[in-house]
Amino acid sequence: MGLINYNIEKYSPQQLVIIPLAILAVSLVLLALTMASTGMPVTPGIDFSGGTAVTIITTDTREQIALYFADYPLSDVSDMNNGKFLKFGLMDEAKYKSLTSAINQRYPDSRIDQIGETFGKTLQSQAVLALIFSFIGMAIVIFLSFRTFVPAVAVVLSAFADMVMTAATMNIIGIPLSLGTLAALLMLIGYSVDSDILLTNRVLKRQGKLNDKLTGAFHTGIIMTSTTLAAATAMLIVSWFGSIQILIEISAVLLIGLLFDIMNTWLTNVGILKWYVQKGGGK
Amino acid sequence: MNSKELKTLITDWRVATLLILIILSVIAISPHFDQQGHLASNLQYGLDLQQGSWLQLEFRAEVVGFTTDQTVDAFVTNLSKKLDTEVVVVESTNPTHLEIRKYYSQADLEPIFASEQGKIISYQQGVSKSTADLVKRILENKINTLGTKDAKVNTLTGLNNIARFIRVELAGVDMKQAQEIVGKQGKFEIRVQTTGNQTEHVLSGDTITSVQTPSQEPPGSDKWGVGFTLSESGAAAFRAAAIKYGATADPAKHNLIMLLDNSTVYSAPLSEDLAGKLQSDTIRQLFASTGTGKSGTQQATNLEIHLRAGALPVDVTIAGSGGVSAPLGERYKTMALLAGIFALITVGLVIYYRYREPNIVLPMVMINASEIVILLGFIALIKFQMDLPTIAGLIAVLGTGIDQLVVITDEILHEGKVPSPNLYLKRLSRALSIIVVAAATVVIAMLPLALMDLSTLKGFAIITILGVLVGVLVTRPAYGKIIMQILSK
Repeated sequence: MGLINYNIEKYSPQQLVIIPLAILAVSLVLLALTMASTGMPVTPGIDFSGGTAVTIITTDTREQIALYFADYPLSDVSDMNNGKFLKFGLMDEAKYKSLTSAINQRYPDSRIDQIGETFGKTLQSQAVLALIFSFIGMAIVIFLSFRTFVPAVAVVLSAFADMVMTAATMNIIGIPLSLGTLAALLMLIGYSVDSDILLTNRVLKRQGKLNDKLTGAFHTGIIMTSTTLAAATAMLIVSWFGSIQILIEISAVLLIGLLFDIMNTWLTNVGILKWYVQKGGGK
Repeated sequence: MNSKELKTLITDWRVATLLILIILSVIAISPHFDQQGHLASNLQYGLDLQQGSWLQLEFRAEVVGFTTDQTVDAFVTNLSKKLDTEVVVVESTNPTHLEIRKYYSQADLEPIFASEQGKIISYQQGVSKSTADLVKRILENKINTLGTKDAKVNTLTGLNNIARFIRVELAGVDMKQAQEIVGKQGKFEIRVQTTGNQTEHVLSGDTITSVQTPSQEPPGSDKWGVGFTLSESGAAAFRAAAIKYGATADPAKHNLIMLLDNSTVYSAPLSEDLAGKLQSDTIRQLFASTGTGKSGTQQATNLEIHLRAGALPVDVTIAGSGGVSAPLGERYKTMALLAGIFALITVGLVIYYRYREPNIVLPMVMINASEIVILLGFIALIKFQMDLPTIAGLIAVLGTGIDQLVVITDEILHEGKVPSPNLYLKRLSRALSIIVVAAATVVIAMLPLALMDLSTLKGFAIITILGVLVGVLVTRPAYGKIIMQILSK
């Protein structure tokens, strides 16, 4: 692939990692700010905070919809390709039942998901656990398979940076943490280490000049990420046309994460590896 | 490739395994046209992709770890009185936990426990696994009698054997109906036989204040039955009717009959003992015996459900619910299929852009597609219900799958030269070692989701893990063989 010319020979490890580290720092600050205001590093969506999400297929305008649901705690209306995605705040059981009837009456072609507050809380604590366990599990696998400290740390750090930057971007562009986006974040843990493992393997286990090995690894690695990007883009386009909220969110988060992964693999991870090899580690 | 080469290729065990799995998968999916000429298959769809509703119910009860200075029996009886609800010892060899079938916060319970010389050691909202199973049976029963075919009831039990939530999924039912089905109670009635086949009304279900779990009477006797308690007025009506129609004087001729929604669920005479006691006094605590052994236990279990008339032993609130309309579900299905095909094509284009060699690109895309076919076959075989997250998982498998094929191809084609068989094997194993580590991390990352009951994400995680396993064990080794055969020309 001749599109991008990857040549980092003239850059020192410090120069390579400075940009990603700065972005990582900014992202961490952003997450801390969100944490201070909402109690969670990422804004929890309806799945975790409780509420009702409704997809309707309609040509009604926002005003018409707001008017029709004036009696209910409608908090947000967003546009989809050929419908609207509505969010409602918490309500009691009787109110919710009347809302279901109201929706069925005017918008029979709909999808409703309601999560109560306590159920949301339970999901939230499990979600946090799942994220932590996944990350620790990934780190253990990486350390066990590399058995050398610095390269393993480089991979784990890159994966960590991927997730933190993705989460911060989700906050900025307003994608909430839902069951779907949680799944996407977990998938990123698995994806992001793919190209890192390839890179580390090439650099540490092959003979040859460091720069040639890096260029070779980049050729393979960038195509790996591009294929996944292509699959995620395809999913995003189709789900946008089909107004499938959960798939839109999953694919958007995957796209963001994969773009950060390119940076973290080929700057962060490469930077640390270069420093490690120049210092005399590896072959 | 000539026919001899083709023959050596398909008789290679790696390639053969792949081919056999693909064929088996196609049989499992069995795509066909139904009577209306629509394309149909054995794949089952979850509520996302067809009309249906789900309800997540939360138990209004708690399981409490306790110690007491009293005997356990006395403690439980007293607590039950004070809390005005059933208190059940959670079954185990050494009773350490109580299930309180009404919602109290820990702070509310503490003084009450203290006044009975007890102490709370642990507190968790929910019910024991056996109660959760009972609720599950009652709900299933109710749904079945209403003729709804495709229903699933799942209790979500945590690692500590305490269930807090139960999930009901009803295909083909809209939300309103679903709420009614779960909320609806049956009509329960006890009648007494007067003369011949004639019967008279004695009492209705609302006078039954509580129903116990099946037990042996006397304890340890293998004579099973279900105890239940009547309200004061219910007990008075029961005694009056028994005396009026002669059931106390001649029990054998005057069976007591229990009906649920007008069909008989139990019929037996008063015991001599009870008939005698009823002559002089009203009795609130009754016991319906069902016989001995396995059939006795089974009948007792059913009777318990009937006595409750579809009412649950524990109050529940709706913790979450949702539904999809039929046309929208149908649309999601089409879109999901499109997303899959579109993803495969774009991935193929990217690969073509990189290698520009149909001999490499075609096998790659075919292997990639075959992975999806094998996964779908497996999904059809275990009757797993596909939903939108599962489809996202499948597309993700597509993405990782092709990644790893790229790793294999690039390792083998190092420096653009086709290697000798010896070198080839060395390089293939190096590629596979990269893949195995990558696969292991994906599996580990998804494992918490697969094990936890995070509602809909379980399917997604299981499919992703399966996809990785199929890839590492079957399709990647086969691809290694095929690409070698093609390159060595």
